[in-house]
Amino acid sequence: MRNIRLNVNGEDHEVEVDPRRLLVHVVREEVGLTGTHVGCLTGDCGACTVMVDDRSVKSCSVLAAGADGACVRTIEYLGTEEDLDPVQQAFLDEFAFQCGYCLPGMLLTVRELLDAEPDPDDAAILQAISGNLCRCTGYGPIVRAVRAAVRSTRGGEGS
Amino acid sequence: MNTSVPSKGTGRVGEAAKKRDGKALLTGGARYVDDVRLPGTLYAAVVRSTVAHARIRRVHTEEALSLPGVELVLTGERARELTEPIPYFIDPVVRGARRVDIHCLESERVVFVGQPVAAVVADTWEGAQRAARLVRVDYDVLPHVLDAEQAMSDDAPRVYEEWADNVVLSKSYGTGDPDGALSSADVVVTGSFRSERTTTAPIEPRGFLARWDAREETLTMHGSCQNPHQLRWMLSTTLGIPENRVRVITEKVGGSFGLKMQGQPEETLVALLSVLTGSPVKWIEDRRESFLAGSRQQVHRFTVGARSDGRIVALVNEIVADAGAMTAQAGWAMPNMSATTFPSGYRIPDCRIDLSIVATNKPPLSAARGFGKDSAHLVMERVVDLVARRLGLDPALVRERNFISSDEFPYRTSTGLNIDSGDFHGLLDKATKSLDYEGWRARQAKARGAGEHIGLGLALELTPESSDSPGSFVSGFDTTTVRMSVTGSVTVLTGVTSPGGGNDTGIAQIVATELGIPLEWVRVVQGDTDQCPNGFGNFSGRSMVVGGGSAALASRDVLRTLTTVGARMLGVERVEVREGAVVDPEGSDSVPVPDVARAVLTRSFEIASEVEPILESTRAYKPGNIDHRPDEHGRIQPYPTYSSCLHATAVRVDAETGKVEIADYAMAHDCGTMINPALVEGQAWGAVVMGLGAALSERLVFDEAGHTVSDRFKSYLLPRASDVPMIRMEHQVTPSPFTMHGNKGAGEAGVGGAQAAIANAVEDALSPLGVLVDRLPLSPPTVLELIRRAKEGRM
Repeated sequence: MRNIRLNVNGEDHEVEVDPRRLLVHVVREEVGLTGTHVGCLTGDCGACTVMVDDRSVKSCSVLAAGADGACVRTIEYLGTEEDLDPVQQAFLDEFAFQCGYCLPGMLLTVRELLDAEPDPDDAAILQAISGNLCRCTGYGPIVRAVRAAVRSTRGGEGS
Repeated sequence: MNTSVPSKGTGRVGEAAKKRDGKALLTGGARYVDDVRLPGTLYAAVVRSTVAHARIRRVHTEEALSLPGVELVLTGERARELTEPIPYFIDPVVRGARRVDIHCLESERVVFVGQPVAAVVADTWEGAQRAARLVRVDYDVLPHVLDAEQAMSDDAPRVYEEWADNVVLSKSYGTGDPDGALSSADVVVTGSFRSERTTTAPIEPRGFLARWDAREETLTMHGSCQNPHQLRWMLSTTLGIPENRVRVITEKVGGSFGLKMQGQPEETLVALLSVLTGSPVKWIEDRRESFLAGSRQQVHRFTVGARSDGRIVALVNEIVADAGAMTAQAGWAMPNMSATTFPSGYRIPDCRIDLSIVATNKPPLSAARGFGKDSAHLVMERVVDLVARRLGLDPALVRERNFISSDEFPYRTSTGLNIDSGDFHGLLDKATKSLDYEGWRARQAKARGAGEHIGLGLALELTPESSDSPGSFVSGFDTTTVRMSVTGSVTVLTGVTSPGGGNDTGIAQIVATELGIPLEWVRVVQGDTDQCPNGFGNFSGRSMVVGGGSAALASRDVLRTLTTVGARMLGVERVEVREGAVVDPEGSDSVPVPDVARAVLTRSFEIASEVEPILESTRAYKPGNIDHRPDEHGRIQPYPTYSSCLHATAVRVDAETGKVEIADYAMAHDCGTMINPALVEGQAWGAVVMGLGAALSERLVFDEAGHTVSDRFKSYLLPRASDVPMIRMEHQVTPSPFTMHGNKGAGEAGVGGAQAAIANAVEDALSPLGVLVDRLPLSPPTVLELIRRAKEGRM
């Protein structure tokens, strides 16, 4: 066992972990933030996506000990029910999810994309979200939502 | 339990109200079963058979038990002493099929790789995994069979030694004289089609958290499941706990598509482990376990006869369906629906479908979106295209000539289904226009001149929905309670559940519309057997038909009391309820609904005298058109409604690499009245893409020993965003005469038609090379193989 320090969504946590413990399990079990999901544990589905030091990572493929000292952001950080991030709002407006299980990955990936490239073309959108599996929507509504988020962000800049 | 808090905005029937649980899902606040935390929870892992067929000699538990933190290792032998066999959701005996007893852990003879043989409980998830790997099982290996056609041969190993052969069910459907009609046809086309095994693969796997309270003698089961009431009955039966001491709570379900219907061994197992340890026990399926569940795998051999004008006169089809091992879940029965869905929406009175459902030493089928209907559409639409190709007619024209006309409904098909309504010609028109079918034909001709391969594919999909099976919990009705409080807020408790599709939103829209109140006043509670009336959960596109219908009936009872008392308060004869107020339609007087509710519940000996002071009603809704009395041909009619859709796609095929690119995709969809068009569209879109996966990339691969090789998303290829087109969706509304709102089941249509449209389009693209598409998925190696075979055939 060893002690690690994580800053999760702005709060400092000191956690004692088994060196083999995955970051996703620490975020869900020790930190208690269950918005990050486990879908495959093989790095393929993206439901466990979190931001580690401002880069999206699949937290099932990261040992918690390896993230010692890191700054972790999860879906819970993105926005609240009263104050949704524009990406969340666009997903709501465009019916871009059904069961919601893939949302942590989809939302954080799209947020990361738009932070880096405020006006991505469809190819960039598809490339960004292709690491995240969704079995409900068929992806079209997600692409529509990303386009809407781009429009709303642009509109916001203009006002 | 799922409750949904409304989003603000539009909310009447027919409007695209936002998903009620949307904000909770978007902010990570929704609770799935793995998010439920109970103090003292222990973790279970399942030890599974590593061989496809064997007698179990001995299970060694000592090593696992010696690990620190391990509380229990349960063997099949012990489990068998403590539990009854799992009751079948669809009883094979009632369907004229063979059955076997299925236990939560097998103690004597395993029949597939992955079958549960023991279970481990430890204080951590990792500890349970580690201990499970230390349980060793000695097997006397027996011969196995993995292919359904091989399993039908006389000398095949028997999956169940007590059966005379491996056939689960053998049955013929159809009417007329197909052999006679074939002999008088202008052309006769024969062919075969083989589909591979796929799986549902929701992103959240199955999972349960069981808590046995020894003092209260109650069992609480939190689950990711579709059918809480049936699961309660099942647990009561297997564990011998009175049903009124079992509570099943459905947490937020992370997708299901049929996988999470009850009847799987782990449900009883996890509950038993909690009883034995006296602690809450959680089991979350891992992805490899989830990949054990099969969705479909069939071989069809068909003969179709047609006149030279394209009119199909007869169809004979033999289906061999690979069921894998038997299951108490609904999955084994799916191929039966493949048979009865023929000949879909085509007028073919002379028709015979011979079905064999065959057991093999593969894991069982699990119920899967489409429920067998998808396989019928895949093959039926291939049949229509083959007729067109033989006659040199456009596939669109051959469809037009064979569709049942909209003035013929209700129409009884030769296999017995009574199609309520529809307009298939209208769908074809909409879909081909949306695709620009003529334009693509011109582009195709031009491309062929340049040696490029563009193909067009059409497919009709007729989806019988909201099934009923007598004597079972496959129910064609459901029940809802609508309860208004003294402040006018409304709680809806319904027997139907939502694994993500959003019927809670649709039901709230119906209640708000019926009661004339804002959507925000309505809270919907689903999936808790202690709170909700007896119901049947989610399957067969039933939730809005019967959940919505019963919610409307119950709302109307509440409304009657409100208007009676409201009219008295206003001193008028007749009132209406609009936007949360009881109003006099002749004048300008009104009284807010909460004031009326308060009067009903607090002034029952005064202004509300002689009115029964209750603002609550529980009602069941039974749609029409279901009839289980066999007709003179022995046909029954288990479905009230038949949704329909027509797929039209254009593909480009690279004959060098075998890669299929979907250039365009349109779908015309008709599920009658839409309660919430955005939710309908979302379901249809998702179903299409699930079908595209089966058409192009998804395949469960087994090695010769019966192990699943494609046991992760790296080898079982779900469509990813960059693999699929933006779909254009057109709606057509032919209301069902047999449901309260004129709606038909939505959510399944898409899976079968998409497979068929792609198969037809790829064949059309490669027709200059003489390619015949007789299998799925059309992955690049398969396409190259089909091209190679065509070239060899022509040499």
